[in-house]
Amino acid sequence: MFENYRFNTNVIRFFVYLVLIILLAVTIIPIWILIVNATRSTTEIQQGLSILPSTHLFENYRILLGKGLNLPRGFSNSLFLAVSSTIVTVYFSMLTAYGIVAYEFKGKKLFSNFIVLLVMIPMQLSIIGFYQYMSKLGLTDNYAALIFPLIANAGAVFFGKQYLESMIMQDLIDAARIDGASELGIFHLVMMPLAIPGAATMGIFAFVASWNNFFNAFILISSIEKYTLPMLVQTLRGDVYRTEFGAIYLGLAATIVPIIIIYAIFSRYIVSGIAIGALKE
Amino acid sequence: MSLSKFKRNYYGYLFIAPFVIGFLIFGLYPVYNTLALSFTDTTLMTKNANFVGLKNFERLFADNVFINAVKNTWIIWILNFIPQVGIAMLLSIWFTNTRLKIKGVGVWRALFFLPNLLVPASVAALFFAFFSFYGPVNQFMVRFGLLPEAMHYLQSVPVTRGLVVFIQWWMWFGQTVIIVMAGMTSIPVTLYEAAMVDGATSSQMFRRITLPLLKPILIYVFVTSLVGGMQMFDIPFLLTDGRGSPNASIQTNNILMYMKFASSKGHIGAASSVGVLIFIMTSICALGIFYFLRDRDNDEPKRSWFSKKSTER
Amino acid sequence: MKRLSYILSVLVALSMLLAACGSPAVQAPPADAPAADAPAAELEGTLNVWAFTNEIRTMAIAFEGRHPKVDVVYTMIPMTNGEYQTKVKAAAGTADSPDVVALEAAFVKEWVESDLLANLNDLLPLTEELKTFPSVVEVGSYDGVAKGFSYQATPGAFFYRRSIAKECLGTDDPAEVQAMVADLDKFVETAAKIKSCGTGDYFTVGTPGEMLNPFLANREQPWIVDGDLVIDPMVEEYVKFAKLMRDNGYESQATQWSEGWFAGMNDTLKDANGTPKKVFSYFLPTWGLPYVLIPNSKSDTTDTGGDWAMINGPMAYQWGGTWVGVLDGSPNSELAKEFVKFVALDEENLTNWATGVYTNEYLKAIDPETPDDQAQAGGDFVSSQVVVEKITSSFDNSDLAKFLGGQNSYAAFAQAAPSVNGALLTGSDDAIQRALNDPLASYLNGDITEAEMYAQWLDAVRNEFPDLVIPEPPVK
Repeated sequence: MFENYRFNTNVIRFFVYLVLIILLAVTIIPIWILIVNATRSTTEIQQGLSILPSTHLFENYRILLGKGLNLPRGFSNSLFLAVSSTIVTVYFSMLTAYGIVAYEFKGKKLFSNFIVLLVMIPMQLSIIGFYQYMSKLGLTDNYAALIFPLIANAGAVFFGKQYLESMIMQDLIDAARIDGASELGIFHLVMMPLAIPGAATMGIFAFVASWNNFFNAFILISSIEKYTLPMLVQTLRGDVYRTEFGAIYLGLAATIVPIIIIYAIFSRYIVSGIAIGALKE
Repeated sequence: MSLSKFKRNYYGYLFIAPFVIGFLIFGLYPVYNTLALSFTDTTLMTKNANFVGLKNFERLFADNVFINAVKNTWIIWILNFIPQVGIAMLLSIWFTNTRLKIKGVGVWRALFFLPNLLVPASVAALFFAFFSFYGPVNQFMVRFGLLPEAMHYLQSVPVTRGLVVFIQWWMWFGQTVIIVMAGMTSIPVTLYEAAMVDGATSSQMFRRITLPLLKPILIYVFVTSLVGGMQMFDIPFLLTDGRGSPNASIQTNNILMYMKFASSKGHIGAASSVGVLIFIMTSICALGIFYFLRDRDNDEPKRSWFSKKSTER
Repeated sequence: MKRLSYILSVLVALSMLLAACGSPAVQAPPADAPAADAPAAELEGTLNVWAFTNEIRTMAIAFEGRHPKVDVVYTMIPMTNGEYQTKVKAAAGTADSPDVVALEAAFVKEWVESDLLANLNDLLPLTEELKTFPSVVEVGSYDGVAKGFSYQATPGAFFYRRSIAKECLGTDDPAEVQAMVADLDKFVETAAKIKSCGTGDYFTVGTPGEMLNPFLANREQPWIVDGDLVIDPMVEEYVKFAKLMRDNGYESQATQWSEGWFAGMNDTLKDANGTPKKVFSYFLPTWGLPYVLIPNSKSDTTDTGGDWAMINGPMAYQWGGTWVGVLDGSPNSELAKEFVKFVALDEENLTNWATGVYTNEYLKAIDPETPDDQAQAGGDFVSSQVVVEKITSSFDNSDLAKFLGGQNSYAAFAQAAPSVNGALLTGSDDAIQRALNDPLASYLNGDITEAEMYAQWLDAVRNEFPDLVIPEPPVK
């Protein structure tokens, strides 16, 4: 019977890996093709698909350079913006979410419903109004207009609230209080370390959202020194419309490869549940 | 303790204060602006605007364009949400299953998330190139005899809609896996250990422990996916001509809104009215979901919708 | 269709190609002589210029060369998906508003008809001096007020492959080929010959989209007259013609501005089975030659340069163009006006522009930070008849002429340009024409009937312009 059990597990495991590999292929192939195209000439790309890299990487890079586009500067702009956005989002959203979950105050229900309501407002629409408003505040062409609104990031608060609700932590909070910790201290020293999986998840989403945010950055930022990577790549597309495909793909690859690397490093910090369970004991 | 507890709860206001202030400074005006604009004939290209009452809304219902956009949005969202959550649940269970011991969980999860890192514009451009008339998909289909001759994929309603569904799924399922797993891993192992001691089977543990405790996260996934789905824009906008072609089959709510906005004079009044309706529609649905899924009794989290559903069988 | 207008940009490939092909036909300029004669009162200040094309950047640097104390802050915003228009609309009227904006033919009228551009009537006398093509002035004006001017005139032409003409039509002589495509009936006869010639792998045209402009240019009335949508008989003609071309296999079914369309220009087009296909001709305007056809005529293995010829084709038409205007309320309006004058209404600048004076070295001598690819190769067709007359002969033995097997394209465009009718453009054209694309594509594919096509199109137009009176569809 035990052998049968093990056999079944192995069959299931095989099946699971098979599904995982199929999903992996579906996921990776388009991205791989995009990266491969960065090494191919425009003619080769027009000829059709290839999964093998070609030899035109440097030629494409030369074309990119010839456009006068400062990719390293775009990269550091994007990085600065994404890191600041991530920190602001994670810290303030967790703070707000913790406030909702850990305390019973008047209007709490109303407030959390209000957050959900805010999540549902289609914000793309109000970008013109937002722009005119920022212009009055003198914040256009300024990263502040992209970072500070994230203090009130309804989507992230909603995630934080749902996440914290799924954790059981009242005992820990009470224990910390008995030890004499302040309320803010409990949030910083007890809650935040426990909520790392959620915070890291939220952080990755915030990072990606900022890194890929084209439209808002595009409307609010005007001077080329402040352009982010997606804006630079878009400039490239507009400039040589659909002609220098190889260089365009190289530009696109330049936006995704760094984020893949950052993500590869970051994702390890989504610690496994076992670690949390151990902490709780 | 009870008095200090009462006082302590005022800290709640302190914790939410930054959010409220941030919202008042940065969020309130654009929201108010959208609502106010929806009752006017404001355009970007003329200096004068008039209050027109409900005319913008009446016009939306005068023909079936708006209804069609709503229909498209729901079809595309439902068709990508079901497999997205299904696969996310399945993968999360596999990844956290102690018996299967899947290797490299972090790596798999990271890889599945990759499509989400791509700028939608490049994703759309990539798929557009794949499925163009002289593109690689036609080469493959014709050379392997799967199609008698090359076809215009992006002029076919079912193919184009299917592609949007696929791309949406492809970009977002990895994220859903991460969220669901974050929820699953935060469930204390002790609960499972206790259940195992009591002789519970894995399916029982799933229904009685995992699902109920995962509920807040599932609600999160559901609501945000709904909200995102109702506001779906980038991919259907960029995949064809920005009008939801062919035959307006991928014209979503937000594309319609953008079309009003980008129409020759920039009718932001009419565009705002679409935005307001999207907001009302999404709110009703999401509040409905909350109402049905809320905890009827906070002290007994296990008696939730899911566990009730499963015990009814 | 919209995309076709996005192409107006400086192409690296072009500059490299021309550099590689030897010295330009026009005498090379001294690298260190930006400004010949500075005006009496020297201009100074900072000017914000927004454009969707780097061509204007060349203009901006040249302007700085003319007026060394002026600093032009140049911002290039692409319009791939309409970002440029959105951005300018958002910024207009705020503190961040640019002083000068570039406006493409597809949306220039929208701006000219709006309240957002400044009155430039002061500059009108210059258009008489320079004999600016009347259609260029007309497009930039509304209600008797001039609000934008262009450095270009953009008559269209018909470019064909000499080798295919010889093989299938027995001659590659432009006059004889023109006679074979002089009207639509003859055009269809010729298309049939090309189709049945050789192994049957030749298409006459690449896409239905590029055939639209000639038909639209020959309408009697614009799309909108006194609040009524007008479906001119030429529109119906176009639909019938496009269907005929598709059903008989005379058209390659490619999409304009996509790989397949470009591949036809350099003989690398292959169908899904891998069979090589060739495209006989392309409908392209003035700018299409230096910016589209020449850069795409070369692949890694093929080069169709020299195998092309240029004729008028079945109908005269125009396509595209870039106008510049000043935003109303600009604090630098005088300087901005000066810039518009320089760009569009300055004989010396237009001459330099068209004859390849603005090389990369020239621009770098003015502004050392100029990117390596920034340059304006000769050949763009300018809006001043005075300039055109003076420089036409200089293109007789140019690289452009070599590309066309010895033809002087400038001379041919100069003949076609006066017949262009600027009165047909309105601010709503782009939206109306874009709405037609999708139903037309479905109809050409045979997915819907002609009546369904008209119904879908008119529904879409009605949705976009709720106040417009929509006529009964021509086919029910």
